[in-house]
Amino acid sequence: MIRHRRKETLRVRTLVLSVLAVGLILFPLYLTIVIALKEPSDMVQVLSWPKNIRWQNFADAWNMVQYPQKFTNTFLITIFALIFTILTNSIVAYAISRNRKKSRFFNVMYYYLISAMFIPFAVIMLPLVKLASILQIDNIAGITFLYVVFGLPMNTFLYSGYIKSIPESLDEAATIDGANPWQIFTKVIFPLLTPMNATIAIFTFMWTWNDFLMPLVLLSKPTQQTLQLSQYVFQGQFSTDYNLAFASYLMALLPIMLFYLFGQKWIIGGITKGAVKQ
Amino acid sequence: MKFKQAMVLTMAAAMIAVPLSGCSGENSASGSTGDSTAPVSLELFSTKSENSEILKSLAADFHTKNPSVTITVTSPQDAGTVLKTRLTKNDLPDVLSMGGDATFTELQSAGVLEDLSKESYASNIQDSYKEMVYDVQKDAGKALYGVPYATNASGVLYNEEIFKQEGAEVPTTWDDFMALCKKLKNDGITPFELTFNDSWCTLPPWNSMAPDLQPENFTDDRLAGKTTFAATHQEVAKKYLALLPFAQEDYMGTTYADGNKAFAEGNAAMMINGNWAISEFKKVNPDFNVNLFAFPASNDSSKNYVTSGVDVLFAVSAESPNKEAAKQFVSFMMEKETAEKYITDQFAFSAVEGVEQEDETVAGVKKDIANGKVANFPDHYYPSGFDLAALAQEFAKNAAEGKDAEQNITDFLKQCDEKYDAVNVS
Amino acid sequence: MKKKNRRVASAFYFMVIPMALLFFTLHTLPFLQGVFYSFTNWKGYGKWAVVGLRNYIHIFSDPDIVQAYGFTFYFALFATILVNLFSLLLAMGLNARIKLKSTLRAIFFLPYILGNLIVGFVFKFIFANLLPPIGKALGIASLSVNILGTDNAWLGVLFVTVWQSIAFNMLIYLSGLQTIDHDLYEAADLDGATGWSRFKNITFPLIAPFFTINMVLCVKNFLMTFDQVMAMTGGGPGTATTTVSVLIYKRGFHGAQFAYQSADAVLLFLIIVAISLFQLFVLEKREAKLA
Repeated sequence: MIRHRRKETLRVRTLVLSVLAVGLILFPLYLTIVIALKEPSDMVQVLSWPKNIRWQNFADAWNMVQYPQKFTNTFLITIFALIFTILTNSIVAYAISRNRKKSRFFNVMYYYLISAMFIPFAVIMLPLVKLASILQIDNIAGITFLYVVFGLPMNTFLYSGYIKSIPESLDEAATIDGANPWQIFTKVIFPLLTPMNATIAIFTFMWTWNDFLMPLVLLSKPTQQTLQLSQYVFQGQFSTDYNLAFASYLMALLPIMLFYLFGQKWIIGGITKGAVKQ
Repeated sequence: MKFKQAMVLTMAAAMIAVPLSGCSGENSASGSTGDSTAPVSLELFSTKSENSEILKSLAADFHTKNPSVTITVTSPQDAGTVLKTRLTKNDLPDVLSMGGDATFTELQSAGVLEDLSKESYASNIQDSYKEMVYDVQKDAGKALYGVPYATNASGVLYNEEIFKQEGAEVPTTWDDFMALCKKLKNDGITPFELTFNDSWCTLPPWNSMAPDLQPENFTDDRLAGKTTFAATHQEVAKKYLALLPFAQEDYMGTTYADGNKAFAEGNAAMMINGNWAISEFKKVNPDFNVNLFAFPASNDSSKNYVTSGVDVLFAVSAESPNKEAAKQFVSFMMEKETAEKYITDQFAFSAVEGVEQEDETVAGVKKDIANGKVANFPDHYYPSGFDLAALAQEFAKNAAEGKDAEQNITDFLKQCDEKYDAVNVS
Repeated sequence: MKKKNRRVASAFYFMVIPMALLFFTLHTLPFLQGVFYSFTNWKGYGKWAVVGLRNYIHIFSDPDIVQAYGFTFYFALFATILVNLFSLLLAMGLNARIKLKSTLRAIFFLPYILGNLIVGFVFKFIFANLLPPIGKALGIASLSVNILGTDNAWLGVLFVTVWQSIAFNMLIYLSGLQTIDHDLYEAADLDGATGWSRFKNITFPLIAPFFTINMVLCVKNFLMTFDQVMAMTGGGPGTATTTVSVLIYKRGFHGAQFAYQSADAVLLFLIIVAISLFQLFVLEKREAKLA
């Protein structure tokens, strides 16, 4: 009898969750798609499926925000930030977490980086904008570089937690075999970091793809702007044409949604692992 | 094994080199613009999204004549803040198209703009508009850091068809104006479409009334601390509130874009805004019959000025590596033919001598403008950083939510004085 | 505690120092500069002078800043509570052998991957154009207007923020719940513990570390709210939804306020550190007590 009741509650639970998922999460997406496909004259019944699908919206938005250029910018920033974050931040975290107990220097480094997590971007924003213009890093390459450096506190924190769980005896065995620290890292440790690399890759990807404030203050040249930023920049010009605006939003969302659609298990798995390790 | 180590080091070195190479590449691209045949790319920054299309098309015309110069037009949301960010970064766009307002004053006083008074077209500009620019410049005398280009007219936009149907006359006094609103409302017509969800849209009523109703030397006296808003702007605030009951439902929730559309579709008889909105109406409804009249804030019709200011001026960044090309572009824009194209598209008035607006849609204020019965936007004289729009939006919101009018006015004007003093220190 | 006196291989220093130097130059240095500017009257360009604590004194009597802090705290408090409440409920709902589990989980996580700005724009449209007719049909006065133009504008921003933030916290709770051994529940069932008492005595103590992470992350993130506000209200109506970050952005680049807003930023930093340390301290102590 208890079994039966439990089955019943599970069914109710599934139903409630499904309704929530559709009503709250999928509805805004449906709305975005429908509006993006409609003609301006078809906006009276906003929620209905478009009478005539108007692909022209996408073509217009494509030209208006100069999509290929903005996409390329965003893509380059994201990919390079991701690769360099994983390559450099893991080395730093490895050196720090293996030597924290042996040397004060590394212990101090650890706390130095971790404490920087508490500095909100808004706090360093004004001076950073000045500095970036002096160093001429207020461009795509520069912002990529900044992402790699600014991710360091969080990533050191995440990587260190994980590296701690890798037995030091592995390092010692490799040392006896004559390997130097660089070789130990590249041959022994780095391959073992794969799950954490995945987690950090995902975080970095989401952060750099969707970031708004840093591109807003740093990337002022139109040719350097990202997809997110261009949605903001062109707000005024979309004016009353919601169809055009929504087509543009949809095109900015689409790459990451496709990425999610195919890598969903891996993404959720990656983040979960990162969380549990802490 | 040394190889691996070397590789990691190279990687690190590559990382450090990335931004450097990034910028050096860019430098070499923009640095070699000495001779006029080398390709030059200019950035034209407009603080008005309404004119970005026409600027793009005129920039394309310029490119056809000067194939070596390519112009990119940018017109971001919240342009004032973006422009200040870029000032902080020492990264001003080559050419600026902006209002003759506090942001312009700030740029000019920061010394980052080029004096254009010696350019040949400077003598071809109507004096009254040059005066307006002199007025907002700091310690600059007759130097001209911004070339007035288009001027605007703020007042009451009205739907001519609805007025005809209702047999309504254009009101010239406040009492007539209120009577008209009441009549329209009784006939089931919404008198005003107000778009107060965008904070700047709360300014046009203020800007239209304040010049008519404030004491003569208010701007200077206020700056010197000899008078206050509370002492002088009671009537403006009171009349501001009197307008609100005649607006459409949910005027606080209506955006400029949505409101323009609703107005162009005939949902209201009037809109308190300026000529710059007309091009937006025409996008929605190309056959829309609209006209403009001076806001009748006073019962003494001789005091009811058209609020008109420098809507667009061109400025050139003093540090632009392409200053010559930038000046050449401004000179092209000042040509009679170009100026005509611009004002035709924008329903604006030209600062260039001999270029006149012939369109019927702004005929209602054309005479006043020609006769100089105009007052500049009072907010162009307020100090930069005095965010009157936020205060006015708050004021209107409180009214919409039923706050006691007397209290609301007192609080609003008190806030105006406090915030004005807060930014008027330096 | 035996101190190992082994020398650290120089290679380890090479691994850390270049990145550490970069980090210092690009992150710590601007931070220190910001602290320095906060004691000056610099405009971001031109001449300047040291003015001591003037900026800080001014902050406390500046209604705009006081209001922005008030709003930011208020907002962060509500957002933190709601996000944790809903994400925990959702995680518990999903942590069972239900059908479509992984599909549902994937859908609920979706908002996390979408850019704040675009989500804000879409909801702005919903609030302005879709909700008012529904509110009218239902006869609810506060919903028949665009709430972003009223005193309730912050609720609109809050809704969108919560909508997007639940996803990540849900996932963390879910991974916490999955570490709980099923036998524990069965034992509890035999003891007759159900519902609330089961949650209070078994579930919650076991996921307490995850609760700590979520609380700290939430408060820190919500105290820095920026994107949603810029997308939906621009800080309005009036200054009703202006958060500290929005204020620093809007005013900081405004000539006369560069140094002044730097002081504001330093204050924000101190507050976030204080709150985070306090949270870590209190929550970890409770965790220890629960375990």
